[in-house]
Amino acid sequence: MRKHPSEADLALFAGGELSRWRRWGVERHAAECEECRRDIFDFEALRVESGALAAVPEVSWDRLAAEMKANIRLGLEAGECVNPRPAPRIVFSPRALAACVSLAALLVASVFLERPSPRVADVKTLEPVLETSRSGIQFRDGDQGIVMLNRRAGDVHGVNYSATGSTMRESYVDSETGLVTINNVYVE
Amino acid sequence: MWSKLAALIFVGALAASAQDASFDPHSSIRINLPSDSPVSLLSTNVGESRATPRGGAMVVDLHMSLSLRNSGKRNIRGVTLLVTTQEMTPGGKASVAVPSLNVAPDQAFPIRIDLRLLRPLQAGGGPLVTVDLDGVLFDGFDFYGKDRLNSRRAMTVWEMEAERDRRHFKSALAASGGEGLRREMLDSLARQAERPHIDVRLSHGGPSITSAAANEHAERFAFLRIPDSPVEALDGVADVAGNEARTPRIRVVNRSSKPVRYLEIGWIVKDSEGREFLAGSVPALEGDRLLSPGQTGRALQDTALRFSRNAGQPVSIASMTGFVSQVEFADGKVWVPNREALQDSGLLRVVAPSPEEQRLADLYRTKGLNAVIEDLRKF
Repeated sequence: MRKHPSEADLALFAGGELSRWRRWGVERHAAECEECRRDIFDFEALRVESGALAAVPEVSWDRLAAEMKANIRLGLEAGECVNPRPAPRIVFSPRALAACVSLAALLVASVFLERPSPRVADVKTLEPVLETSRSGIQFRDGDQGIVMLNRRAGDVHGVNYSATGSTMRESYVDSETGLVTINNVYVE
Repeated sequence: MWSKLAALIFVGALAASAQDASFDPHSSIRINLPSDSPVSLLSTNVGESRATPRGGAMVVDLHMSLSLRNSGKRNIRGVTLLVTTQEMTPGGKASVAVPSLNVAPDQAFPIRIDLRLLRPLQAGGGPLVTVDLDGVLFDGFDFYGKDRLNSRRAMTVWEMEAERDRRHFKSALAASGGEGLRREMLDSLARQAERPHIDVRLSHGGPSITSAAANEHAERFAFLRIPDSPVEALDGVADVAGNEARTPRIRVVNRSSKPVRYLEIGWIVKDSEGREFLAGSVPALEGDRLLSPGQTGRALQDTALRFSRNAGQPVSIASMTGFVSQVEFADGKVWVPNREALQDSGLLRVVAPSPEEQRLADLYRTKGLNAVIEDLRKF
């Protein structure tokens, strides 16, 4: 059997991102190699999972970061009130600094790969749902969500939403045509 | 280490694969107008429409503009289009309606379609998007179309409301001149601006939140009586837990002399701070069942609504009020509350303005009082 394709090639193959020539090569190899077929399958599964994760959070990370910074600052200030300020001295040697930078890079990479999302206790969506938000009507199925009505901001005026039966409705005046437009999205 | 690197490359590849692809209007979009259709297609502009693969689905971003012509002999009052990527897929079906039109024969008019729809990646061949004509409403309430979305009823209701509101504004103009109409327009714009904004989550069939069942209790509706309503709501309850209300059950009686085919109960929720907002409406009696004169029926809806504001802050439900918001008789005629009843009951400040009131108020905002007076004279 020929040499196995690299993991990067298998990953790109799973995402349909290989060039035509290399895709042909990987395809030929995978047809005969069970191990590589399994790897491709794993990458495909990861692709689906990462797609789901990408759609999850509606968390303001900037706000969280600001809050964390504020809390840390508050803690430091509180500490300064309690303890006398020690004489300033150099804490980080270049070697320690390099270690910290490496650690931070590792942390960022792991957060990027794992994409942790805060757990909302005891809240679980059982059915596909439609919901209104500032940006329009959103369709949500499980943890995945997508804004369905994506009229361009500024093109409309006076948006009204209403829910009737299994339908979510949005009405607005289109500023280009001056006509009232009513969009319906159906939950089933 | 190498597997991490491969995963990093893979995530990069994913980001690259999320590139948009604009689509060819000829092969990607099919617009179905029947041969005897009273509207004909003059042109299509797909503008910035895009299709983007995401997970196992294709996200179709539509920013289309259709130019249609009234090729019939009657004035058109409204048009509804059914837009589908794949009808059986959640998120694959939507509709666009344009009410409050006044399009004379041979006149052209635009319809813009700004929607985002989903389509499975594994979907078979054929166009990405199909646009079907679901219905056209003419003056005199005549209708043409397949009516798969009950667009006849919806457009008839909008046109009834339009006639009602034009009558109201015309009488304000007749009674108090331009200043009277200006006051009405300013009142309307103020009401629209002051209506509380609330985010509603709608799910069909059972509770949307598993934890909701814990504190659930049956909350009774209070009902607003509208004097000339052909149907009266007698009593009703919904299961309420925190900021979620589900499965409203409302008992109604037909007080009119004609059989009723369909009705809707408007659903107003008051929060713990006393603010009222329109939560939605409960449809009833769809299908072949009719509510005969004097007969009692039940409006039941297997949906759950959850309310929040300011990006997810729950709005707790303190009380609920219902009112009959529309009735369709077996002969296709429609009843809607009159303007005085809306004013006297206080509903005017809670319910959304009719499409016609929305259009006229916007006309006043953008073009001034004379444009509104000119527009009212056309009817």
